[in-house]
Amino acid sequence: MNKTIEVPALARVEGEGGLYIGIKDGQAAEIRLDIYEPPRFFEGFLVGRYLQEVPDITARICGICPVAYQMSSVYALENALGVTVTPPVRALRRLMYCGEYIESHALHIYLLQAPDLLGHESALSLAAVAPEVVKTALRLKKIGNQILIAIGGRSVHPVNVCVGGFYRWPDSEPLKKLLSDLEWGLEAARECVRWAATLPYPELEVDYEFVALNHPHEYGVIEGVIWSSKGRKLPIAEYEKAYIESHVKRSNALHSHAVDGNSYLVGPISRLNLNHEQFLPQARVALKESGLKLPLRNPYKSLIARAVELVHFYAEAIQLVRAYQPEGAAHLELKLKAGEGAGATEAPRGLLYHRYQIDEQGCVLFAKITPPTAQNLPRIEADLYALAPQLVAMPQEAATLTAEHLVRSYDPCISCATHFLKLKIEVK
Amino acid sequence: MSPEGIPAIVAGMETCPTFEQGKTGMKIIVIGTGQSLRGDDAAGLEAVRLWREMYPQTANRPEVWAKTVELIGLGLLDLLAEAEAAIIVDAVHSSAPAGTIHRLSPEQVSAFTPDSQFAHGWGLAETLALCRTLYSSRAECRLTLIGIEAGQVEMGAGLSLEVGAALPAAARLIEEEVQQKLAG
Repeated sequence: MNKTIEVPALARVEGEGGLYIGIKDGQAAEIRLDIYEPPRFFEGFLVGRYLQEVPDITARICGICPVAYQMSSVYALENALGVTVTPPVRALRRLMYCGEYIESHALHIYLLQAPDLLGHESALSLAAVAPEVVKTALRLKKIGNQILIAIGGRSVHPVNVCVGGFYRWPDSEPLKKLLSDLEWGLEAARECVRWAATLPYPELEVDYEFVALNHPHEYGVIEGVIWSSKGRKLPIAEYEKAYIESHVKRSNALHSHAVDGNSYLVGPISRLNLNHEQFLPQARVALKESGLKLPLRNPYKSLIARAVELVHFYAEAIQLVRAYQPEGAAHLELKLKAGEGAGATEAPRGLLYHRYQIDEQGCVLFAKITPPTAQNLPRIEADLYALAPQLVAMPQEAATLTAEHLVRSYDPCISCATHFLKLKIEVK
Repeated sequence: MSPEGIPAIVAGMETCPTFEQGKTGMKIIVIGTGQSLRGDDAAGLEAVRLWREMYPQTANRPEVWAKTVELIGLGLLDLLAEAEAAIIVDAVHSSAPAGTIHRLSPEQVSAFTPDSQFAHGWGLAETLALCRTLYSSRAECRLTLIGIEAGQVEMGAGLSLEVGAALPAAARLIEEEVQQKLAG
C-alpha cells in the first residue's frame, strides 16, 4: 500500500520546517524533516565579541530556553579561562535553570503536546472544554517565569548572567515571596504526573542510545560528564570526539550522529532513564506513582518524563529559594588570557554544547554551538521510519496527526537548531 | 566589543524599562507590540512611543501604564489581569492601504482568526482568544485594538513612509481612547 503524508507547516513547534513521508509498498520510502527556517549565523555573530557579551547574545537564540544558552556559554568561557564559580553562584545558576525548566515544561506538557493526546486541535479548543487544566498550566508556567524575573530582571532573555557569576545578587525578598506559589506548584506538578499517566499514548518502542549529562550528587543539569546508555562516559571537553555534526542538504540545521554513525537521543527521556536515581525524593515518589517502567522507550511518553521533571524542579526550586542567602562577591574578577573551552548543560530539550576560542583580550575567535534539536533531528526521522508501518494502516487524517504528534513530542526548537515545521505524507 | 560592556549591562539591570513589574494603582494599560526589526511590524511600538512623547501628562498619570513589548505571547494574559481597561496597538494586515488606522472593539477583535506564525503558534490573536475562553470577566474589560495597516514587513527594514506618516494620527487616537476610558 502506498501513501503520502505532507504537513507543510506543523503547528505547536518552535521554528519553521516541514515534514514529508512517502510510503511505498507498505514501507517508508522517504522521510524528510525539512528545516527551511533561514540559518541564523549566531556562531558568526559571536566572532570578535568580548566574552561578557556572549551570554546575552546566545540567550537570544531561544525565547523558551535562553537560560540554557547563557549557562552553556558561561561554563565554556569559564573553562577557557580556567576559573570555577563559587558555590553560592552555582546554586543561583541552578535556581535560574529551575525557573526555565518549569516554564518550558509547563508550556510543552499542557499547551503543545496535551492537545494531541486529548483530541484537540490546539490549547484553545482544549481550554474551551477543560479551562481549569489550561489555567493550571498557565499558573505553573508563570511561576517559572517569575523566578527568571526575580533573578534576571525579565521572564524572557534575562540579563543578569555573566562569565564568572552574576552581575549582582538578586534581592532575597522577591524570591522568598515566591515560596507559597512554589509550594502550590509542587503539588500541581505531582497532580500533573498522575494526570499524565492516564493519557492515551500511541504505541511505539524504540531502541535508543540515551545521552545526557550525569552528575553523581545531583540531577544532571550543569557540570558532570556526558553519559551514554552504551556505556560511554566522557568529560564535556571530549564531546566532539564522540558526537559529530554534519550538513544535510535539504536542511538549514545540522544533524548530529555518534561517531559510529548512529543517531542518539537527548532530552527528558534520556535524562529520566540515566539520572532518575539523582531525583529529589518528591520526584522519585512521583515517578513510582506514574507506573512508568524504565528504561522508557516510547517517545510520546516524554510528556510523563517532563511531568516528573516538573516535580523535581519545583522541589529543587523550593530548596534553593529557602537556602538563598547572598554571600561574597556575585562574580569572579576575571584575569583574561587566550584559550579554548567547552561547556555543556542540559537544556529542557536536551544536551546543549558550546565551545569557544578566545584571544588574550577575551574576544571570541571561534564559536561552536550544538543545540539539542540538531542532535535529535536524525532520531526524529528514524522514529518516523519506525512508525511508518502503523501509519500505512491508518486513515489519512489520523496518520498525519500521529506523525505530527511524534515530532511535537520531541518539543523541537527549530529556531534553536537553525534553525516551523510543515508535514507531507505521500503513499505511492 | 569591549570590557566596557560590563558596567553598561549592570546599569541596564537597574534601570531596564523591560523589567516586568506592574504599576501600582494602574487601571488602564496601553500596549504597543510588534517587531522592531521587521519594517512596518514595528508600527504599534512606534505609535505608543510617539503618544508618550506627545501626551506626557496622560502617559505619566499613575492610573495609566504604557508598555512596549516586542513578543507579547502569553504574558498578555497577566498584563490584562492587572487592568480595568486596555488599549493594544499593533500592525495589522488587511486589504486597506498602508498607514490606514483601524479601531477595533472587543467584539471586532473576537472575529480574528487565530493563525499566528509566532513561536510555538502563540500570537496576539491566540492569546486574546484564550483570554476570552478562560477569563470571560477579564475579557469583558474594556479592550480596544488600534491597528495600523502595514505595508512592508521585510527583515531589517524601517517603517514605510506611509506608516511613518500615520503615526501622529495613531497617537491622537490612543489619546482619545485613553481619555474616554479615564472618563469611564
